[in-house]
Amino acid sequence: MGDARRSTSFFTEQHLSYADILPPLQVRARIEVAVLNFLKVLNSPAPAISNLPTIKRKASNSRVNQGLLTDVSWIFLSHAFCTKSLTRENTAKSFIRVWKVMEMCYEILVLEKRVTQRELFYKLLCASPDYFASQLQVNQTIQDVVALLRCSRFSLGIMASSRGAVAGRLLLQEPNEETVDCTTCGSSGYAISGDLDLLEKLVMKTDAHYIFVIEKHAIFQRLAEDRVFNQIPCILITAKGYPDIATRFFLHRMSQAFPEMPILGLVDWNPAGLAILCTFKYGSIGMGLEAFRYACNIKWLGLRKDDLEIIPEESLIQLKPRDMQIAKSLTSSEILQDNYKEELAVMVESRRKAEIEALYFHGYDFLGKYLAKKIVQAHYI
Amino acid sequence: MEGKRESSGPNHLLQKLRDFTHSIVEDLSHSRSPVIYIHRFRNYCTDISGNCYCIHDSFKGVEILTLQRECHARRLAILLRVLLIVQQLLQENRHGSKRDIYYMHPSVFREQSVVDRAINDICILLQCSRHNLNVVSVAKGLVMGWLRFSEADRIFNCLNHPDTAHSIPVHVEEVKDIISVADYILVVEKESVFQRLANDCFCKTNRSIVITGRGYPDIQTRRFLRVLIEQLHLPAYCLVDCDPYGFDILTTYRFGSMQMAYDTKTMRLPEIQWLGVFPSDAEKYSVPQQCLLPMTSEDRIKTEAILNRCYFQRVVPEWRVELQLLLQSGVKFEIEALSVHSLTFLSKEYIPTKIQGRSFM
Repeated sequence: MGDARRSTSFFTEQHLSYADILPPLQVRARIEVAVLNFLKVLNSPAPAISNLPTIKRKASNSRVNQGLLTDVSWIFLSHAFCTKSLTRENTAKSFIRVWKVMEMCYEILVLEKRVTQRELFYKLLCASPDYFASQLQVNQTIQDVVALLRCSRFSLGIMASSRGAVAGRLLLQEPNEETVDCTTCGSSGYAISGDLDLLEKLVMKTDAHYIFVIEKHAIFQRLAEDRVFNQIPCILITAKGYPDIATRFFLHRMSQAFPEMPILGLVDWNPAGLAILCTFKYGSIGMGLEAFRYACNIKWLGLRKDDLEIIPEESLIQLKPRDMQIAKSLTSSEILQDNYKEELAVMVESRRKAEIEALYFHGYDFLGKYLAKKIVQAHYI
Repeated sequence: MEGKRESSGPNHLLQKLRDFTHSIVEDLSHSRSPVIYIHRFRNYCTDISGNCYCIHDSFKGVEILTLQRECHARRLAILLRVLLIVQQLLQENRHGSKRDIYYMHPSVFREQSVVDRAINDICILLQCSRHNLNVVSVAKGLVMGWLRFSEADRIFNCLNHPDTAHSIPVHVEEVKDIISVADYILVVEKESVFQRLANDCFCKTNRSIVITGRGYPDIQTRRFLRVLIEQLHLPAYCLVDCDPYGFDILTTYRFGSMQMAYDTKTMRLPEIQWLGVFPSDAEKYSVPQQCLLPMTSEDRIKTEAILNRCYFQRVVPEWRVELQLLLQSGVKFEIEALSVHSLTFLSKEYIPTKIQGRSFM
């Protein structure tokens, strides 16, 4: 059954744009091919300067794909090309920037090193001061290279930060290393490495029944300190805010290793919390080409509008303009399922939001009880 | 020893708490207003003559709260409310954050800031540190290197993998059995520099412990550093960007922050030395012109404000010289500017030669 699922999704992927995680030699090969193709056209009987096809990373080019046999949906960017041409004035410089970044990444891969995005900015600033003026330009150009070469940012040699943490009933083993038991990792948990190669090789074992994805570090720390995984057999994971690739990758691996285990999200009741949940669920448009590989079927456990009954009025906070902005972009992205849209509508109409900490009104141990009750009632959407 | 004297253990604090409440009840039962003295602390001022009293850790003023003024009455009510929660935390041996405390009685507190102030006042009144009240926050810092220690039931053994990052533990008072074969401790401002050192396997070739606070260091990072320095007696070097924020972070490590001035004694690190990046390093290490970014007017204002702090005259005049150079040159640069020509320059040359050549302040 699993194989049938996998092969069906393979066919639907054929026309999608996606980026692979590749070893350095393959990335170098792709760069060499790009250069050779360019030179071939330049040296042909009808010489021309090739255009660079990159993928438009805008909401208008994104769609949500519903899995046919799986419950997983994800964002993908279709082949809406936005060509960069040396001959057109407004794209000439960005055309050159793409080549410059490819050159720099190639050099770094040859050295078998990695760089941070900031270091890359400074190197490009010094090597090509006329073309690079800001970190933002560098970041955008990197995404263009990702689109062009169809390989992930990490494969290009750019370091990812380690933001996420995991705790609970999970045994992790790196090849030839000691097994790490995540129940003994203290209240800060096991730090999820930014090295995707390493994460790929981790062997995971568990006897948990649930995976809780937690938005905020403080809540993760509280649950880990209270050892909630001893009362409810579970794994806790957090990205400490907006999820990074490494945490999403780790969660994705867990969902594949333990396909029957429900993944439940605990976020603040506000547009930002819902946006974070959706990023785990569908991926993000800005990283559209890499996103879909790490989408998971995560369900919304809390906080939800029904929980407002147990939260005192004074704990509700006014929505700020930024919250309204996020709400607007969520609605317009058309990825929300109906019950999520309802929740968002209540937030916007009441102009209120609530943090998970508001539950502490009922005492410190209330959070564990809240989770247990929700699970028993299977009260997640 | 970590934390203030033994009189900060939970039982002692609970006793002090009871005594404090008892005295208030006594006053009220005799129809007098309680008079609460809250000492004011600061760890620097703008007196550059060098004659100020900031060098002493005693209080620099006092606030007197009585029930005669309504705002004081409210402040006292909040303080007592928070004190009740703290008592619960201590009795149940639980920990909470300032935010958690706010949410327990949001209708009474109405704002996070009043809770924050109440906690500071309680620390001053009971003469203890914030963590003694079991009020903690999330742990932000990272550590790697030749270090082994245990925290409660968990053993952090970085010795097998000196280049793997670990989170700095939340409950620093539970850190025990510290073993290290390092020669020094390196504190870096930014996570990206920490990552660079890890990627270069810095700790494999240099026997050191590397710590980052990921920006402005939180309480745990500063306390952890202090424990390491006190127990291991190792020199500590600080590597920050050559810009006003870098200096502010350096001074936070060295002198403590104004916000936590009442607890400076336990959190400052007088042993920490400034390894770099000095404004004079720009020329010395041939930092390319394009990497020298112009200082904005806010940068100038901030640098001048930092320079006006009294400890620059009294304690670290040599830092003052470099900061003035920064103002004069009008440019700032980040640590990454040093890696432009060679990614491994920082770990293979800059840091080791600076430490060996004792070119730190």
